[in-house]
Amino acid sequence: MPESWFLEGPAGAGKTTYAIQYCHDLVRNDVSPEAILVMVPQRALGRPYQLAFTGSDWPNGTQIDIVTLGGLARRGLEMFWPLIADKAGFAHPEWEPAFLTIETSQYFMARFVNSAVKTGIFDSINVPPFRIMGQLLDNMSKAAVNGFLLDEVADRLITAWGDRHSSRPSVYRAGVDIAQHFREYCLQNNLLDFSLQIELFMNHLLSEPVYRNFFASRYGHLIADNIEEYFPVADDFIRDVWQELDSALLIYDTDGGYRVFLGADPGGMHVLRNLCDHIEIITETRVISPEAAALVSEFDHLLALNSLPPLLEVNPGEIITIASHKFYPDMIEWVVARIVELIAQGIPPGEIVILAPYLGDSLRFVLMSRLEEAGIAAVSHRPSRAVRDEPAARAALTLLALAHPAWEYHPPAADVADALHQVIDDLDPVRAWLLAQIVYRPGRDELGSFDGIRAGAQERITYRAGEKYERLREWLIRYRSEADEVPPDHFFSRLFGELLSQPGYGFHADFEAGRVVAQLVESARKFRRTLYPDGVDQWDAVTHEYFTLVQDGVLAALHVPSWQQQEEDAVFLAPAYTFLMRNRWVDYQFWLDVGSNQWWERLEQPLTHPYVLARNYPLDQVWTDDLEFRYRRDALRRLLMGLVRRCRKHIFMSITSLGEQGYEQRGPLLHLLQQIVQRYGDVQEAAE
Amino acid sequence: MLPSGFQYSQSSMQDYVDCPRRFQLRYVESQPWPAVQAEPFLEYERHIERGATFHRLVERHQLGIPADVLESGIQDNDLKAWWRGYLGFDDVHNMDGKRYPELTLSADLDGSRLTATFDLLVVLPGQRIVIFDWKTYRGRPSKRVFASRLQTRVYPLVLCAAGAGLFGGPVNPVQVSMVYWVASYPNEPIEFEYSEEKGATDRDYLQSIIKDIDRHQNNTIWLLTSDMSRCKYCEYRSLCGRGDAAGQFAELDNNHDNIIDSIVIPSLEDVEEVGF
Ligand code: SF4
Repeated sequence: MPESWFLEGPAGAGKTTYAIQYCHDLVRNDVSPEAILVMVPQRALGRPYQLAFTGSDWPNGTQIDIVTLGGLARRGLEMFWPLIADKAGFAHPEWEPAFLTIETSQYFMARFVNSAVKTGIFDSINVPPFRIMGQLLDNMSKAAVNGFLLDEVADRLITAWGDRHSSRPSVYRAGVDIAQHFREYCLQNNLLDFSLQIELFMNHLLSEPVYRNFFASRYGHLIADNIEEYFPVADDFIRDVWQELDSALLIYDTDGGYRVFLGADPGGMHVLRNLCDHIEIITETRVISPEAAALVSEFDHLLALNSLPPLLEVNPGEIITIASHKFYPDMIEWVVARIVELIAQGIPPGEIVILAPYLGDSLRFVLMSRLEEAGIAAVSHRPSRAVRDEPAARAALTLLALAHPAWEYHPPAADVADALHQVIDDLDPVRAWLLAQIVYRPGRDELGSFDGIRAGAQERITYRAGEKYERLREWLIRYRSEADEVPPDHFFSRLFGELLSQPGYGFHADFEAGRVVAQLVESARKFRRTLYPDGVDQWDAVTHEYFTLVQDGVLAALHVPSWQQQEEDAVFLAPAYTFLMRNRWVDYQFWLDVGSNQWWERLEQPLTHPYVLARNYPLDQVWTDDLEFRYRRDALRRLLMGLVRRCRKHIFMSITSLGEQGYEQRGPLLHLLQQIVQRYGDVQEAAE
Repeated sequence: MLPSGFQYSQSSMQDYVDCPRRFQLRYVESQPWPAVQAEPFLEYERHIERGATFHRLVERHQLGIPADVLESGIQDNDLKAWWRGYLGFDDVHNMDGKRYPELTLSADLDGSRLTATFDLLVVLPGQRIVIFDWKTYRGRPSKRVFASRLQTRVYPLVLCAAGAGLFGGPVNPVQVSMVYWVASYPNEPIEFEYSEEKGATDRDYLQSIIKDIDRHQNNTIWLLTSDMSRCKYCEYRSLCGRGDAAGQFAELDNNHDNIIDSIVIPSLEDVEEVGF
């Protein structure tokens, strides 16, 4: 039985700092670093450990493993696969497994979903196929992280639905049938999606003696941070290995639990304290001011206890400024103007975040452009954006289509003009449009040559641009004769390296285009290597399949590594939950549109349910409006407390009477703020 | 200038020695540049994959999975030949000592962090440590070529600085040796003994490289290599104006193996949480 500690406290109490010191102490006491396992719920939360363990004061030696449960599972499966593949029911245990990402899982899932959609079974829910795929994969993951069978997913959803509209139960059942077919396909083909990785790890690998020996001889000390964000299987895992540990430190953030909608189980993880010898509870945070602490307390009372807290001596209103605007653009101008002022006062941009419950593309775009115009560095979190929405990727895809006239997909002339404008240095949009109008005829086999254009038009386009256009055209024609030998990723790589990034072309020294095309190549490569690991005789059809999936929006694989962004000294623009899960502290926060209902709404996901598909949700309970209301209040409470606890100086809140869509705004957050204003009177208001 | 948490490795230092500009693009700016490194691409990719699979097989074997279980999963003939060669490499199998496959050690070098991931360490506490490194090159480079690689200098140095915990006390350089084993030449391992003098020379040399790197500013373009042959297999060649066609895989000699070394072994850092 390990010597064990349970450390609980709010964000900013110094828990992670304590854990790092704890690691130092272990190593100083001759514990080998590789015997220490640090677990975090997601990789970004491992960053403070990673930085500490690579600092110059860290002793020389082996390295401490910092993992998520998913990462640990994957590593174990990769290494010990031959020992479990047969027992786990794979049709070809002798083959290596393929680890699927969300994106590659969707490729396979697409085959099942698309044929089910054709039968009309999903007509009643009016959700596009790629969202159906996402929600079905989500259900599979929820089953895995809770330790349910897939059938239980359907049972839970159907029971919770009660006797409302009658077609939904059959939709749930159909969804689970598809998931089961998908799972069967994975077992036949050695494909491991996230849910299967977790199930194999928990149900097979952990009980495999060779792995168990390896684990026990390797790790003696467990540090599990932010356990309130863990899935229930993490609880099972910790209990399972507990007896073999020499020591354990479990760290719990009192008001966390932001990943409940992903399957986290803060309540269940809290019970782990009963395993521990020592329990330490910190109530103070070191980071925030008394006013912020008062605001946290107000939110807590109003939302959890549904009561008014006693009036405090410090005024929570002092750390907030509320500004009212009639229209959205006014709000944006106000936010940008305040940020300009802060920066003029010497505040580093990295100390400012702009938060919204959801961050739509248009809002993001306008804010980013306005900040850029004001000369302020800004980065925005974009969790997933379709490849085709990136200009550089769109240009590459348009050229791919032009290189394959046999597909009979004819890109719009505007896309062709845009691609030419982007990839040829000397072509401004007007000339590119003119050139496209002349050389591109949808349906014709190839682009027309520059030589064939009238002299007057050639002059307007310029001979320099014409020469580059000719090289591009010839490249595409030459490629056509080799198309069967070139997989899609290789096409993009060659096009980029041999032409588009050469001097005189648009992507030469364009680092952003390099990043985007690299991700496009990566996406196409994963597609090819996962779906066609043994290659094919002719790649053209595979390239076409990839292109079609992109056009259908199945792909959403463009991500910037999260901490790379986070560490830039730039204003950070993100959905509120994303910011919380980065676990960062900043001096200034801007909360946009606090009147919006979105601050407490959850995504509409008719095929899944974050609360019903949870281990602690009673199997026989119908989901009622009352429950919805209670869960929403709880989520809002955690969100608001978490945000305030991560603000050192001031929160600027803006209200628009007409929201982004032009409707009047009266959400619950606004109501709370009104209550606080009434109680304390002198909240700073910056009415326009 | 370098990203926080950056650790030097033999591969990044080799990049710097080969071409400072490449080091700047890869590690200072983390700039992806998706051009093809070598053609024919699929053949090149298969070679890299085979190397990665071989490393995984050996790691599995060293972790205790029986050889016959592992062999039953090998379909590729070249891989099978490498595997059989490895099984016949008695030096590694007959050696006493504790085995550490794919182990990473890191050490401080004048305020910078230097890291090494060893294919296999065999440790006889208090007596001897042998570093094994599997190479899946098609040809067998000469001992001189291996001697010139930074890996031959970085690995023993890191081991001496950071291996005390494994060794049960300070590691004396004379107790360390390094063996390169080339899969297609299984009976011709190349061995390097280490010594205090070598350790001192290597330390000075690596420190001078780091000092040199530290002298650079990031807002300037660092020196481009004058050895144009390096650019043939470098993905940045279009950015540097050094040509438009990838080098031929068949002509890839061992002087350019850093491009393969840097990809062969997927770092555990790459193991992503697969969320939903
Ligand atoms: S292309 Fe040549 S000069 Fe440019 S980074 Fe690569 S090796 Fe260096």
